[in-house]
Amino acid sequence: MSKVQTQKQSSREQFIDCAKTGKILVNQCKKCDNLILETVYFCDKCFNNSFKQVIFNGKGKVVTYTIQSVVPEGFEDVASYAWVVFKMDECGLNVSGFLPGISSPADLPLGTPIKVIDFHDKHGLVLKKDENSL
Amino acid sequence: MREKVCVLGAGSTKYGKLNESIVEIALNASKDAIDSAGITPRDIKAGYISNVFGVTDKQVHMAPVIMSNLGIPDVPGLTIESACGSGSIMFREAYANIAAGFYDCVIALGVEKITHTGTVESTTLFSYCSDFFYEGGNGASFPGLFGSMARAYLATYKSSEEDLAKIAVKNHENGFFNPKAHIKKKITIDDVLNSPVVASPLKLYDCCPFSDGASAVILCNEEFAKKSGKPYLEVIGSGRGASPAAVQSRKDITTIPSTIDAAQQAYKMANLSPKDIDFAEVHDCFTIAELIDIEDLGFFPKGSGAQAVREGRTTLRGDIPVNPSGGLKSKGHPIGATGVGQVVEVFEQFTNKAGERTVKDAKIALTHNFGATGASAAVHIFKKME
Repeated sequence: MSKVQTQKQSSREQFIDCAKTGKILVNQCKKCDNLILETVYFCDKCFNNSFKQVIFNGKGKVVTYTIQSVVPEGFEDVASYAWVVFKMDECGLNVSGFLPGISSPADLPLGTPIKVIDFHDKHGLVLKKDENSL
Repeated sequence: MREKVCVLGAGSTKYGKLNESIVEIALNASKDAIDSAGITPRDIKAGYISNVFGVTDKQVHMAPVIMSNLGIPDVPGLTIESACGSGSIMFREAYANIAAGFYDCVIALGVEKITHTGTVESTTLFSYCSDFFYEGGNGASFPGLFGSMARAYLATYKSSEEDLAKIAVKNHENGFFNPKAHIKKKITIDDVLNSPVVASPLKLYDCCPFSDGASAVILCNEEFAKKSGKPYLEVIGSGRGASPAAVQSRKDITTIPSTIDAAQQAYKMANLSPKDIDFAEVHDCFTIAELIDIEDLGFFPKGSGAQAVREGRTTLRGDIPVNPSGGLKSKGHPIGATGVGQVVEVFEQFTNKAGERTVKDAKIALTHNFGATGASAAVHIFKKME
């Protein structure tokens, strides 16, 4: 029987798994505590290359957004949506994601509370208005 | 000690929907540039090519194909990609190699062919130039990314969608006088405001078109230029800048840091300031981009660009004419070629070939071009040689 080798998950795969539970995975530099969202190999403040992973609540407030009318491939099945940049409440980092059901600016004033709810194969980081915080 | 770098010749195809193959489009512009400089291909010691989506016309690794078809297969070439900034960033590399003394004469050629793919495929392909995992992959198109920047700008500074529309109207006015422009059509503010929404708040006429086209220039050192006996320009300033790749990672979404850095380097090298610039060709992929550019380049203080636009200060007869060619908005945006096309405009302006769009008494010009949402940028300053 051949040995099955389990591959270690990539940081991006870990990010996706966290997003499916409504959380955001962030890297924190072990030397200067700088928080960096993206897959990183070197800290952009001190150039250290050792990080620990920190998981934050995926809740935040809308910083800016656009409502897409001409959409890229893979998004034709969505009636209407916004691509949103939001600032996370717990750590102040900005993240961007896909918020379905937005068809006019009146639906989404800047500062609206939103939260991460899933990571979708075709639509990426899925967001929802955080009704409990409104 | 740097060699002085000169632009000796320039050529461009029409921008628009072109039937020829990408290689033919590239060669047409190259031939015009070579003829304009009064040289033969044998004078060219290296080829610098910029292109992004050659794969859609089944041609990548473009440089050796171009050099072979120019009759100089033994002359080295390289192909550079930096999304919409490919042309100027390639130009900078060509400039640097002349300045360093590696070559006395090179061709810098940008080319793109994309209209054969259709709107959905083009929109999708362009989204790959974003930080895809956070942007394109979450449904953001390029109009969408700039739409989000527009929303942030309009919410922060005293400005309106009508101010953005004025920029589109101005660039179409200028492009109407450009025989090579993709969209030679005058428009009104109402045309812009009533056009279909592409990615709010940006509408169709806030957005540049997808274009095919190529532009090429011949760069050389001063000795080569003087020996030629032909009119030439001098490149007196060059700067490169970079910004975080994703919009979400920028401290201020209403500014593009790469533009500021590139411009400061170019001004310092030229020993000039923004007020010394007689006209500028800037990166107006979307109307909001031009509004941000004219502030980031130092022509107007941050947040006051909209007022300057309302006062007509960036029109052809204004204090600082911006995009006399018609800009990306009207002239068109073949993304691999645009940065070089801006240099072609400067060459035409300074050699009395710009016709009714000529900026009177201009002696110093600036070109500005960036990739994606400004992740990479280059600024160059040119001087007319009397």
